[in-house]
Amino acid sequence: MFNALYSISFICLSLALGYAFYAVLGGLPPSLYGMIIFTLLLHFRLCQAEKVKASIDWGIRHMGVCFVPAGVGIMNQYPLIKQHGLALVSIIFITTFLVLTFVGVLYQRLEDR
Amino acid sequence: MMTILSALLLCTLTVATYQVSALLQRRYKKFWLNPMLITIIAVIAILSITHVDYHAYKQSTQWLSALLEPAVVILGYPLFQQLSAIRKQWKRIVILLSWAAAFVISISYLITLYLIEIPAIAVSLSLKSITTPIAIAITEQLAGNSAITAFAIILAGFFGAIWGVKWLNFINVTSPTAQGLAIGTASHALGTATISQLSYQHAAYGSLAIIISATITAVIAPYMIPMLDILM
Repeated sequence: MFNALYSISFICLSLALGYAFYAVLGGLPPSLYGMIIFTLLLHFRLCQAEKVKASIDWGIRHMGVCFVPAGVGIMNQYPLIKQHGLALVSIIFITTFLVLTFVGVLYQRLEDR
Repeated sequence: MMTILSALLLCTLTVATYQVSALLQRRYKKFWLNPMLITIIAVIAILSITHVDYHAYKQSTQWLSALLEPAVVILGYPLFQQLSAIRKQWKRIVILLSWAAAFVISISYLITLYLIEIPAIAVSLSLKSITTPIAIAITEQLAGNSAITAFAIILAGFFGAIWGVKWLNFINVTSPTAQGLAIGTASHALGTATISQLSYQHAAYGSLAIIISATITAVIAPYMIPMLDILM
């Protein structure tokens, strides 16, 4: 219980600092600044990794559900899908796999060297 | 009263469907039993049958969407775990992902212009691999179509989340670091959230790729797209 509160506090702190950075610098969204800040807090041992591990594992296992409302938003795009649907979906499909292949193959080669 | 009740109902429905499909996936280990995908399909079906519009659903589940931000923050943990390994690879990762960003922007833009012939849609599709807030900002800057950008981002996320690892294994890219980097680059946080359950390495390299590709795309896209226009 204590560890969960400890984790939540540090996650909220990182996110709050992320918002502060975003307000000053702009650029990346607040949550990505928050991710970088959380990494640094852990790295400099300001936040103890052992105490947050269990909560983080739980969070990673369940975070997918947070993407559901945005995904359901696709249902609002019926007219769009009707008009260009097949071409849109095929382009997204093909280019996504091209990028996966590009990065995956090249990075694995670099690693093997 | 009615709204609170329906909000509670819609949230419970979403979370419960997700939990059940997660359980099914763990049990049967089928990659297409992706809990996110199944929940989205089920929710869309239920909303259509009961004539609830998306706006009402979105409002009822806004706290779930609000959790997206802390969810992205926790990816800092796997990143921290891999920090020393990443530090040695730092330069080559940035160089590779710069090429990847230029690659995805140009092929998506050119193929879309060729097939659909509407520049606004081409702008939107060329930004689909990065995180939503940045992609929408650049879309507006370059006179793209934000609704199409949002749609394309979700789809790109799904393709990577559901078939990414499967495809990479098939083409013999089996290293967790290469898989993480590839899926973070092509399918942003949605793909990374899905593969993060596989290993901390997947999670760390996926998260790293999200940050680097978003930054690089934000810097190069405003110059690249006018240049591609000249080429066409």
